[in-house]
Amino acid sequence: MGRSLRILLLLGAALLVLAAGGCGGDDDGGGGEGATIIHGTTDQPVSYDPAGSYDLPSWNVIYNAIWGLLSLPPGGNQPEPALAESCNFDNPSTYTCKLREGLKFSDGTDLTAEDVKHSFDRNNRINDPKGAAPLLGSLYKETGKVTGDEVEVVDDLTVTFHLNRPDATWPFIMTTGAGGIVPSEYPADKIQPDAQAVGHGPYKIAEYRPGEQTVLERNDDFYGEAPKNERVIIQYFDKSSALKLAVENGEVDLGYRNLTPTEVEDLRGADGVEVVEGNGTEIRYMVFNTKLEPGNNEAVRKAMAYVIDRQAIVDNVYNGTVEPLYSMVPRGLAGHTDNFKTVYGETPDKAKAEQVLEQAGVQTPVKAEIWWTPSHYGDLSADEYAEIKRALDGSGLFDVQLKSTEWDEYSEASSKDQYPVFQLGWFPDYPDPDNYLTPFYRSDSFLNNHYKNEQVDKLLADQQASTDQTEREEFFKQIQEIAAEEVPIIPIWQGKQVAAVREGITGVADTFDPSFQFRYWLVAKE
Amino acid sequence: MAGTPHTTSLRTYALTRLALALPMVWILLTMVFLLMRVAPGDPISAALGGRVPAEQLQERREAAGYDRPLIVQYFEYLGEIARLDFGETIVDRRPVTKVILQNGAATLELTLVALIVALGVGISVGLISGRYRDTPLDIAGRLFGILIYAAPVFFLGFLAQIVFSQWLGWFPSSGRASPVTSFDLDTPTNLFLIDALIALDFDAFIDVLKHIVLPATTLGLVIGGVFIRLVRVNVLQTLQGDYIEAARARGLSERTVVWHHAFKNALVPVITIIGLQIALLLGGAVLTEQTFNWPGIGSELIRYLNNRDYIAIQGIITFFALLVVAISLVIDLVNAWVDPRVRY
Repeated sequence: MGRSLRILLLLGAALLVLAAGGCGGDDDGGGGEGATIIHGTTDQPVSYDPAGSYDLPSWNVIYNAIWGLLSLPPGGNQPEPALAESCNFDNPSTYTCKLREGLKFSDGTDLTAEDVKHSFDRNNRINDPKGAAPLLGSLYKETGKVTGDEVEVVDDLTVTFHLNRPDATWPFIMTTGAGGIVPSEYPADKIQPDAQAVGHGPYKIAEYRPGEQTVLERNDDFYGEAPKNERVIIQYFDKSSALKLAVENGEVDLGYRNLTPTEVEDLRGADGVEVVEGNGTEIRYMVFNTKLEPGNNEAVRKAMAYVIDRQAIVDNVYNGTVEPLYSMVPRGLAGHTDNFKTVYGETPDKAKAEQVLEQAGVQTPVKAEIWWTPSHYGDLSADEYAEIKRALDGSGLFDVQLKSTEWDEYSEASSKDQYPVFQLGWFPDYPDPDNYLTPFYRSDSFLNNHYKNEQVDKLLADQQASTDQTEREEFFKQIQEIAAEEVPIIPIWQGKQVAAVREGITGVADTFDPSFQFRYWLVAKE
Repeated sequence: MAGTPHTTSLRTYALTRLALALPMVWILLTMVFLLMRVAPGDPISAALGGRVPAEQLQERREAAGYDRPLIVQYFEYLGEIARLDFGETIVDRRPVTKVILQNGAATLELTLVALIVALGVGISVGLISGRYRDTPLDIAGRLFGILIYAAPVFFLGFLAQIVFSQWLGWFPSSGRASPVTSFDLDTPTNLFLIDALIALDFDAFIDVLKHIVLPATTLGLVIGGVFIRLVRVNVLQTLQGDYIEAARARGLSERTVVWHHAFKNALVPVITIIGLQIALLLGGAVLTEQTFNWPGIGSELIRYLNNRDYIAIQGIITFFALLVVAISLVIDLVNAWVDPRVRY
């Protein structure tokens, strides 16, 4: 007994000594330009090859280490030259870019126009199932096939894109992760392993351990201004609760993406933690299948738009981490208009809803089956749709039956005429209103909700063909007006970008803009 | 030649046991394959559903070969397993073998330390409980054993995080090491404690040790509950044995009787049980890893499950299944060697 007790006591003492060593923040060499920023997130990347990813976590690293010819400046919503010195439309379907001189990839090789052609061609040729080749539709006639004429190398530093149709959004597409430029040594027909990722940007990818961390180190050969830190470690968390704890304990410098509203609320009061919010362009909306009852009746759709209480969802479900959305184009984008607010008001209007239904001869209460999914848009979807049901049923005009199913089944069934009204969400490819209008309102929309308006189709085509931004904004305005009048979709909310940062971390607010790009080079540790 | 019948019999037993293990593995592999294919969803719709039209999703599924006849996929799968090639994950294109080696090492490190905790707690509390039967010490020990065995591992983990990490600030709440150490440390074995020792990096060793304390203790306590009860019962039985009476009759001190005769014999069955607890440890490790953000194979399994990456899932589950079959085979063989009655 005596000896066993002694051993136990020794073990206990060892643990105490270990604990006395303290935990919490890591010794990373202090602040300033030599600092290491530790970013905790639950977002996990797919691939750091621009040809193999179509997801925010992968693109966020690409935005920092594998730049494209154009980029979106912090706070701006129009593309600006990045690896290119200049880019211009020669005509609505020909776009020429001149590269900066003397650029080098992080492996030391020269970055030339040949690399640009190789990067785009291989993206479309590989047509990776998880890649973004479909975004290049205005450059390549068919995904998976490259004729070789689409991207022309004029000289070492000049490249011309021959689009197959006028596309004003092409400069925006070049700012996405799909536009990242990689060396010609990258395989032409398969994805480059992440361990050998090469590009040109403020950072180099130093290490990637799936499920654990990605390490970015300052690229001393970057042509632009040096980052405000030396190294960024992106630490992956399985659950947001673990991330929240890590932020509270100072184990990470900033926690960004997927903290729940409750966790954000808790962190607002935590010692040494500041919650930083910024404009976001992620949206949620409710779709009507215009072929199925009750959404096949425009009056019903309008009546629902009158009584839905967005503010209740914002306050009661999301604790203010989202904002009411009154158009599919979120606030912050050039061309946004609050048409749903203008037409249906900011607060529920039962009288107007009743009037619309009465005029159309619709008997109330209108039975409506509304679908939502618990496994794709977060745990709060249940509360969000309970709130929607409460507002609709509460008006006395509707009798809502909520139904839900897992995402795998949901995503397929919703586009196959099985759900009359259903929940969906959208995350932008690029911050241009086109990305919030064309996919939803064109008659060949991926929603397959049978909404068809020839005028809308024409306006959408016209805005894509125009390189005049003022003219495009006029087209966008008209489309949003029609969309609010005909209501094939009801916009619900637009998310804010929310990060919990430790004391001494600056610059996070500067990167929060509609582009949804997290620019690590702006973040500093004091 | 007195040992010959014994040896032959053991060999026959081993061969029979091995022959029985093969159909067991085959059934397991088939079940894993079918379950993955019967479950709704696929990696393409998990990633791109709600973004691209249904026809494009279908095209991508076809391009990836997910619509090929099941029987073709099945035989391909069996062929790959036979070559010990588990394929490449769909989500992040990692060879599954690499996932097993890299993340499996993290799980191995966690379970080994957890086993040490389990044995330390289980044996010490079990011995004390058994030795001081029906005293307050015994009651406390039994109660403790039941509590830690009954408590869900994620609950214990969460409690440990709140108390020792958040309130007291003694240990980190998550991860295998601090992010900087993870990056700086060379990891030839992927067992961070060993790697830190190889590198003679004492700071890294302490850092890794601090990170493993909470998850390993949580997991170890759950398994320790089983050991407490087992050791206690064995101590009670051995203390009543004739040879204990004989030892006492020979005038040996009570201390010698208990320590050298009773306790040592009481621990023999624990060795057998350790093997049987491996499956429980692996199951518990999945939950522990989730709670403590431990980048083990269990966390990876959940991540791949969420992304419907059935190549990764079937590879990892197959590995788990083969591991458990192999361990139970070894235990059976050790048992048969120790106790000849098993063979008949």
